[in-house]
Amino acid sequence: MSVLEQIKPLFQPASIAVVGASASVMSGGNRFIHHLKKYGYLGRILPIHPKASEIEGLPAYRSLVDVPGQVDYAYVAVAARNAPEVLRSGRGKVLFAQVMSSGFSETGEGAELEVELVSAAREAGTRLIGPNCLGVYSPAGRVTFTDKTTPEAGPVGVICQSGGLGIDIIRRGQSKGLRFSGLVTIGNAADLGAAELLEYFFEDNNTEVIGLYLESTREGRQLFNLLRSTKARKPVVLLKGGQTMQGQRAAASHTGALAGTERSWASLSRQTGTPMVETLEEFLDTLLTFQCLTPRMNPSTRAVLFGNGGGTSVLGADALSRAGFVVPAFRGSTLATLEGLKMPAGSSVANPIDVPAGALQQDEGRIAEKIIQAVAAGGEADVLVIHVNMTVIMSFRHVDMLGNIIRAALKVREGNQSGMHIALVLRSDGEPETEDLKREYRRTAVKSGVAVFDELSQAAKALSCMRLVEAHRCR
Amino acid sequence: MKKNAIEYLRQARAEGLTVLDEPTGKRILADAGISVPRSVIVDSQGDLRAAADALKAPYVLKVVASGVVHKSDVGGVRLNLADADALATAGHEVSALMRTQGIEPQSWLVEELAPPGVEIVIGGAMDPEFGPMVMVGLGGIFVEVMRDVSFRICPICELDALEMIEELKGAPILRGARGSQTVSIEAIAQVLLCIGGEGGVLMACEQELAEVDINPLIVSKEGAVAVDARFILR
Repeated sequence: MSVLEQIKPLFQPASIAVVGASASVMSGGNRFIHHLKKYGYLGRILPIHPKASEIEGLPAYRSLVDVPGQVDYAYVAVAARNAPEVLRSGRGKVLFAQVMSSGFSETGEGAELEVELVSAAREAGTRLIGPNCLGVYSPAGRVTFTDKTTPEAGPVGVICQSGGLGIDIIRRGQSKGLRFSGLVTIGNAADLGAAELLEYFFEDNNTEVIGLYLESTREGRQLFNLLRSTKARKPVVLLKGGQTMQGQRAAASHTGALAGTERSWASLSRQTGTPMVETLEEFLDTLLTFQCLTPRMNPSTRAVLFGNGGGTSVLGADALSRAGFVVPAFRGSTLATLEGLKMPAGSSVANPIDVPAGALQQDEGRIAEKIIQAVAAGGEADVLVIHVNMTVIMSFRHVDMLGNIIRAALKVREGNQSGMHIALVLRSDGEPETEDLKREYRRTAVKSGVAVFDELSQAAKALSCMRLVEAHRCR
Repeated sequence: MKKNAIEYLRQARAEGLTVLDEPTGKRILADAGISVPRSVIVDSQGDLRAAADALKAPYVLKVVASGVVHKSDVGGVRLNLADADALATAGHEVSALMRTQGIEPQSWLVEELAPPGVEIVIGGAMDPEFGPMVMVGLGGIFVEVMRDVSFRICPICELDALEMIEELKGAPILRGARGSQTVSIEAIAQVLLCIGGEGGVLMACEQELAEVDINPLIVSKEGAVAVDARFILR
């Protein structure tokens, strides 16, 4: 059986057993059942309880032994010491058991119990996820472990060692426009780990980009080999926690003294073309970039800036340069076309293209489309970053200038022959009115494949990750 | 060839050593295809003149003694000895110096002085998550103060090796910045491959080795010579 077939039931389970829901109080298991129901899970939910005949309005079973038929996914939230027995009771019946409980190898004294848990899972023929994790999120399978998650599916697959950060990734990610094919929190990854899940996401046709949050791994070699193999056809974005922890061993050589976790993960990133980011914000921005934009055949090096605000243009050009782009002055046809537009004084049509809001309102803001088209047609840009100071633009209330700019970007993007990446930076003042509008425009833009960022520096960093992937592909 | 390296390491471990002596380390490097200086090993300081006859001046004299990891720190290394007389005199002086420190020389390593060039450090270490890793850096303050080194997970290919070198902030020095001599980057890459490539020393000896330093590797236009080698056992 391929990895795809093996792991698919985890994301599309036909039946979910919940071990550890309470008949009297609201426990983690009960909340999980609530989330599943509210999210529209259509398969069988099978609460397991030693005494109660009904949990959350569903008929309960005494034990996994009593459940008729196969259990695709068991959610196990019992005290750590009882978890191995739960797995044994599902012998031959449970495909995946995700053990939420903590008290295993993440605490020194629980290491032995984790060994027992793994062997219980092996004996039972069950793949173990966790322990010490939170769950699986799969919009297509209508499975979630937290509330307020969108049912819209998308191309982003995530493997996350931390449970809490998994919730951040889903919730903050979806606000930015990320849509997921699936997310798994793997906790201690005692059995099913990042390498197998990565292989699954490589094979899964619904996934186009993969996010990886790891703090440590027992599968370093497998990950390295997999990321270097021909199976690694999709961009992988890596957020590595625990980078600054220094090894405690005393080294007897220069090399030993200079080695360490920061060096080894940076090496992995370089050798496999896997962009490594430093913050959650960068992680989400970079995933969004790959969700919206398709890597080009050649590395994107030339950036063009277009927007309103002189200082912002200067800072934006700085940020792009720092991120390894060149922001070259136009030569040839682009400049001639832009000059032909006869924009009013105060505008600059060299790169960066800086057009004050007052000038952009001309012709109901349709000038923006002409500018964007000129840049696309000129072939001098690999990346076009459009930035908008929303506060200023919104003060011109009689025209929907921002709407026009965004529609222009989308239009050019749709007919975009050059494969030029288009990114949109919506700079808000944080006022509720601005934020509301931004949310709306962000949604429209991301849906149409324009990556949206809060600030120029964030766009620059995320786009540099795109360049790294492109460069590695034609290495 | 690799079998030999593993055998040297196992034998050393069986003898209770934690570090290989320099001649053995260099034998492993030579077997792996890395140039080391031509050398003669003599058991007693009195035989140094005979050693000189077999080699081309100028000479380098190094004391070999178990437990002495940093030979130059105890005065156990003398460079640029012009002829057999100078070598013999240096032998007397180093002998005396060792006696005062209670160091018992096991043997004496006499080498031809490597041609001048840029000092490079190449090394290896075992990462707890990724296994063997290979490192390159420029010698002296570049490694020790600036920590200007690059690492890769083994095995590396030739392109990896060239990118590792290119990644160094000090890389322009290898290409002759500020009037320095240009050196053979290709030769550095080849040594990296012998250490960190497929079937290289690190991949072959993963179970036996903890760390390796070739410090320095002296690189000129013509090639690269491993002038000192330290193998730390696991």
